[in-house]
Amino acid sequence: MECRVLSIQSHVVRGYVGNKSATFPLQVLGFEVDSINSVQFSNHTGYGHWKGQVLTAEELNVLYEGIKLNDVNHYDYILTGYSRDTSFLETVVDIIKELKGTNPKLVYVCDPVMGDQGAMYVPENLLPVYRDKVVPLADILTPNQFEAEILTGRKMHSVEDAIEVMDLLHKMGPETVVLTSTDLPSTRGDQFLVALGSQKIIKPDGTIWTQKICMDIPKVDAVFVGTGDLFAAMLLAWTHHHPKDLKSACEKTVSILHHVIKRTIKYANEMAGPGKRPNAGQLELRMVQSKADIENPAVIVEARVIQQKNQ
Amino acid sequence: MECRVLSIQSHVVNASPVLGFEVDSINSVQFSNHTGYSHWKGQVLTADELHVLYEGIKLNNVHHYDYVLTGYTRDTSFLEMVVDIVQELKRANPSLVYVCDPVLGDHGSMYVPQNLYPVYKNKVVPVADIITPNQFEAELLTGKTINTEKDAVEVMDLLHAMGPDTVVITSSDLPPRLGDRFLVSLGSQRHVHPDGSRTTERVRIEVPKVDAVFVGTGDLFAAMLLAWTHHYPNDLKTACEKTFSVMHHVIQRTISHAHDLAGPGRRPSPPQLELRMVQSKADIEDPAIVTEATLIS
Repeated sequence: MECRVLSIQSHVVRGYVGNKSATFPLQVLGFEVDSINSVQFSNHTGYGHWKGQVLTAEELNVLYEGIKLNDVNHYDYILTGYSRDTSFLETVVDIIKELKGTNPKLVYVCDPVMGDQGAMYVPENLLPVYRDKVVPLADILTPNQFEAEILTGRKMHSVEDAIEVMDLLHKMGPETVVLTSTDLPSTRGDQFLVALGSQKIIKPDGTIWTQKICMDIPKVDAVFVGTGDLFAAMLLAWTHHHPKDLKSACEKTVSILHHVIKRTIKYANEMAGPGKRPNAGQLELRMVQSKADIENPAVIVEARVIQQKNQ
Repeated sequence: MECRVLSIQSHVVNASPVLGFEVDSINSVQFSNHTGYSHWKGQVLTADELHVLYEGIKLNNVHHYDYVLTGYTRDTSFLEMVVDIVQELKRANPSLVYVCDPVLGDHGSMYVPQNLYPVYKNKVVPVADIITPNQFEAELLTGKTINTEKDAVEVMDLLHAMGPDTVVITSSDLPPRLGDRFLVSLGSQRHVHPDGSRTTERVRIEVPKVDAVFVGTGDLFAAMLLAWTHHYPNDLKTACEKTFSVMHHVIQRTISHAHDLAGPGRRPSPPQLELRMVQSKADIEDPAIVTEATLIS
């Protein structure tokens, strides 16, 4: 399998977020990953301290120019995540448009990182850039509930609302949408959170087939950083292997997350000691140690098909 | 196995994660591609920026490493900052192992600025535990040329006297016993026994030559040697057999693929010759031994 991914994300010296979170698992699964580091920080910003340097939009352009000059700007996938800078994001948009021009079958996997739990954690002026320029180019989108709500201007209080929001997102561009986490009540109780997905496929005869799925995912009592980046990378990998089967792609993706998180929690609690809450350093994803699970995940979650339409 | 490596290298694929090491990596440059292509563009990390990154790690009190790995650098102040960092990390962990690829040049000429040479010789090599010079670099660092195996042994002893207990001369012009399709590499490891006595294990490895110019193999070699000397700390012969065998498998796979892409009779281009790292995962983890190391005195 010769599949090239261009991943434009952060780099941290220590830990697993951004490109550190995405690159290793994708390589383990056989993808060639070219990575542009949007920042180089000592560690993620959840620690007490962090220091480093950011890549400017101009520097990003220079790197892309280098790749173009050698005529190696051919990619099958692009993957982007956390960004804080509108001009950087706009340069990313230009690059993606050009790469789609070179390869119309290119798949852009976009994690529209803006915030969570009702609040934005990036500058507000990124929202219009995501809404009007980035999301229209995306083929696969992985917003959480909050991000889906601010992109569509519609809140979700029920599964029916979530279905409408995913359909609105399809209209904006992406044919595959996964709501990575929501506050919707799970039928399995409050130890579970609800995630949903929707895939729109245009059949050769012109009809449109959509499938919507729902998953109940075991909650974990800890704050993780980098899991969203891992999720987007793994969804890229598993939708590549199951392009018309979002149910299987999501089951494998969510299962990998679960194994990595479980291993991480166990290790973090051991490091912290009994009764103590682990710190950011101890909660770094046990990525390297989870290699076997990444390659061949035991599927521990089952997605339910909640809607299937042919129109 | 919880082994932490601090790797300060250019933006290159590191195979150590595949072998179970936790690798913290500081990218000394961010370039579009290596400089063997017709064009390359990007940014370099300054000594100050390197210091800032290290400060961030220190402030969080996570500056504890078992290994440090460094490679290609073009800047003396950057290199001097690296030395300061290594010295500080060694104070934090006296059993830290510093694996240093003293990248200076090859085939008789330097391809980094000349003023790096005294910094390597006087500051870097003295704090290194494992070094992986090629013949040219070994000669430059010791001021002695290598014309025979005996010369190579003397040069490696001189390098031991400068600091590192493990020296691997990654390639040389010495005539191979197995014919001209091979090249000769050598290694030397000094052991100090509990009773204070010293022994030196010396090995000679004959490695199949390849008809292509590769970039990145030195970085991969240093990373693999780190991994295999970790698993075989007192058995340089085995560590080298595994390391050189991994190199061979990656290079073979790369050459095959490059020729497929280039087509019959055509010389592959730099992009076609990019190391097939991802595809060589199985070989990196468990290499079939294809080179042979013999102990020499």
